[in-house]
Amino acid sequence: MSYKRRAISRSVLIASVVIIVLIIVGAFYTLGGQEKEKVVVIGVTDKITDLDPANAYDFFTWEVLSNVMAGLVKYDPDTGKIVGDLATSWDVQENGKVWIFHLRQDAKFADGTPCTAHDVVRSIERVMKIQGDPSWLVTEFVEKVEALDDYTVKFTLKTPASYFLAVVATPPYYPVHPNYPDDQIASDATWGGCGPYKIEEWVRDEKLVLVPNPYYYGEKPKNDKVVITFYSSANALKNALLSGEIDVAWRTLNPEDIQDLQNNPDFKVLEVPGLYIRYVVIKTDAPPTDNVLVRQALAAAVNRTEIAETVFKGTVEPLYSMVPAGLWSHIDAFKTKYGDANLDLARQLLQQAGYSETNKLHIELWYTPTHYGDTEAQLAAVLKSQWEKTGMITVDVKSSEWSQYVDQLRNGQMMVSLLGWYPDYLDPDNYLTPFLSSTANSWTGTGYSNPTVDQLLKEAQTLTDQTQRAQLYEQVQNILAEDVPYIPLIQGKLYVVTSKDVTSIKISPLMFLLYDSIEVGG
Amino acid sequence: MREGVARVGRLLRYIVIRGLLIIPTILILYTLIFILLRVIPGNPILSALGTHYVPPEILQEKMHRLGLDKPLYVQYFDYLWNILHGNFGESMVIEGRSISKDLAYRIPATIELTIAGFTVSVLLGLITGTLAALRRGSKIDYSMRVYGIVAYTLFIPWLGSLFILLFSVYLGWLPAGGRLDPSITLKRITGIYTLDAILTGNPAAFFNALKHLILPALTLGIVLSGAYTRLVRSNLSDILQADFIRAYRSRGLPETKVLKYALRNAMIPIVTYMGLQLAILLGGAVLTETTFSWPGLGSYLFEKIQYRDYSAIQGTIMVFAFMVGLVSLIVDIIYALIDPRIRY
Repeated sequence: MSYKRRAISRSVLIASVVIIVLIIVGAFYTLGGQEKEKVVVIGVTDKITDLDPANAYDFFTWEVLSNVMAGLVKYDPDTGKIVGDLATSWDVQENGKVWIFHLRQDAKFADGTPCTAHDVVRSIERVMKIQGDPSWLVTEFVEKVEALDDYTVKFTLKTPASYFLAVVATPPYYPVHPNYPDDQIASDATWGGCGPYKIEEWVRDEKLVLVPNPYYYGEKPKNDKVVITFYSSANALKNALLSGEIDVAWRTLNPEDIQDLQNNPDFKVLEVPGLYIRYVVIKTDAPPTDNVLVRQALAAAVNRTEIAETVFKGTVEPLYSMVPAGLWSHIDAFKTKYGDANLDLARQLLQQAGYSETNKLHIELWYTPTHYGDTEAQLAAVLKSQWEKTGMITVDVKSSEWSQYVDQLRNGQMMVSLLGWYPDYLDPDNYLTPFLSSTANSWTGTGYSNPTVDQLLKEAQTLTDQTQRAQLYEQVQNILAEDVPYIPLIQGKLYVVTSKDVTSIKISPLMFLLYDSIEVGG
Repeated sequence: MREGVARVGRLLRYIVIRGLLIIPTILILYTLIFILLRVIPGNPILSALGTHYVPPEILQEKMHRLGLDKPLYVQYFDYLWNILHGNFGESMVIEGRSISKDLAYRIPATIELTIAGFTVSVLLGLITGTLAALRRGSKIDYSMRVYGIVAYTLFIPWLGSLFILLFSVYLGWLPAGGRLDPSITLKRITGIYTLDAILTGNPAAFFNALKHLILPALTLGIVLSGAYTRLVRSNLSDILQADFIRAYRSRGLPETKVLKYALRNAMIPIVTYMGLQLAILLGGAVLTETTFSWPGLGSYLFEKIQYRDYSAIQGTIMVFAFMVGLVSLIVDIIYALIDPRIRY
């Protein structure tokens, strides 16, 4: 009996020793073996359209391109100022008509091919030749681009443009690898440019794998690999984050989910002011909204604070101009003129326009249910209730699918409609000219035209002094608040939700996630 | 002997005629979808650009490049001509992107999902239906019948989200979407990931692909199994009361053997139904794929419709039509071979 028991205890002892040794060896093996690769998995609901700067014209594809390519200049993520990237310095001649960029000599594409002035020129000429969607960012400005030598590029502009640097920072100006065909769009090309990353694997709509460009001249990325995975909805993105499949949930989670995640200790929520704006478009060339009093009444009755809090759960800020807060020249033009939820003023204006509680103004308000996320129907409903609070307006809410919506917009078929805007380049001009200039705003269907505004915008484009330009843009914003072809509603904030392991992350002033800044803890 | 040759000849003729009938089916469908796409408002160029500013000359140029400025009948025949040459054209939203390439990439994903969903639905249907038929009138019977009705009426995205919440978010057992973890690389041979993993001898990828397949297949399978439950139950209980079964039983054949014979007889109408099921299966795949971010034909179609990518939508519908046509042809042939009542 006792012998047996001893035998058992001995074998238990031996077994335990063996197990412990195995665990220790195993632990050493995994820990002490090779250093673990630092992989960051980013989930998005966006899609990549063309991996070719000659035809890509959407926010997310631009973000990806900005991480695999480099431009002559870029925005410094810390100061928000434009600094040299491929160009180390530049000269402006002939009052802003001629721009000469001096390039660095150590820039290389991901396969080691040097990136020279000839690549810059070829790439920009390529954009002009292909005439893709964003090509106007080149063709509207650039008359001629030439290489003075291997490391000097000269631009001759059609008219002087003071904000040309902001335009040059956009992807259509990025030099691409010599493999990109001269006159054809390469939608799935992975040769890339001379940015911090190169594309290792690209499976459309499934994953994009980026690894550091070994020849990159700048600082080495803080991770060894970035994997971007694509989800079909905000809900799927949230679930992927919760189940640990992704480290970073980027664009775009639902506001409710962001609120939940802020209270979840397993995740970190990074909030950044966004330059994304939402606004109402009003048709100015058909009754009843051709009456400026009616438009002013609508502007006065809007309660932006309520919209930001009830619809967007505090994930946005009220906005009182088309130029977002934080960008120079911004003024709270609508707040100064109307305040917020100024029902008395709204009623007064409506009375002047001939409306009353018995003879109500009839408004058709349009929205599109999926493009701007799940909150859109609610936004329309809240606006309706705010306008109807005046007691002199009835609102019919109507909706149509995105592609139909865009069609109706361009054809001016909607009396009042909800839209959003991301900038193409970071300058007040991009928040004003496309909307207010009578030659550029046909796409909005408002039919708005004001010669004074046209004149002011044109003048501001040619001035180089920022203070002088700001004065002109302030004037334009005041006229905007007076004429009300648009009612600015809110300014987005951006949210990046990460798992706790992610220790650093940065967003550029253009709101692109800088993949090289993402660090994951071991 | 001569009778045999004639029989084969007749069979071949039957197959050819049935095969040719697929052509008008596809043509009608193409015409319908072509008209439908042009009737609904919106077009691919503006949908893709959205609210971005683009000068009118560039829009014009783009219309021209995509052939959208040609008369409608020309567009209609151009695309038809392309398809006859096995070319599905180029995407109108992602320019230069070949649709044949997109489809070739996505078809295997849909096949993998539908086969898995189909297997789950048949298994579940057979089990629940048999249980109900064997215990007619009992509590089991009632609960299986309720299962059949509930499963049939479930909405795929709802059930899918429920599974994701339970198995991915709360329990963390299974992935919430996709086909393979991004960290795993797998050599693509057939595009059916589980099969590729076996072919390349990659067990990690195999189990990972299988893990990703479970929830979508279960969702699709459960919803489609409802119809089988009811079909198996009613057919099997009829047969279990047939004279020949009584004869088996009276001779003392074990109950398991009896069930085997009964099931074999009950299968005939069920097999027919399986063939018909394919169209429904593909429809269900659209919803399942969008719920689970499964990169197959269904999610492709869903996305392209939002962007009015005419050529991509037309191409996908053609593939769907062809798949349904082909399977019903195969079902017809099998039928002709096994059922003596069919004349050809």
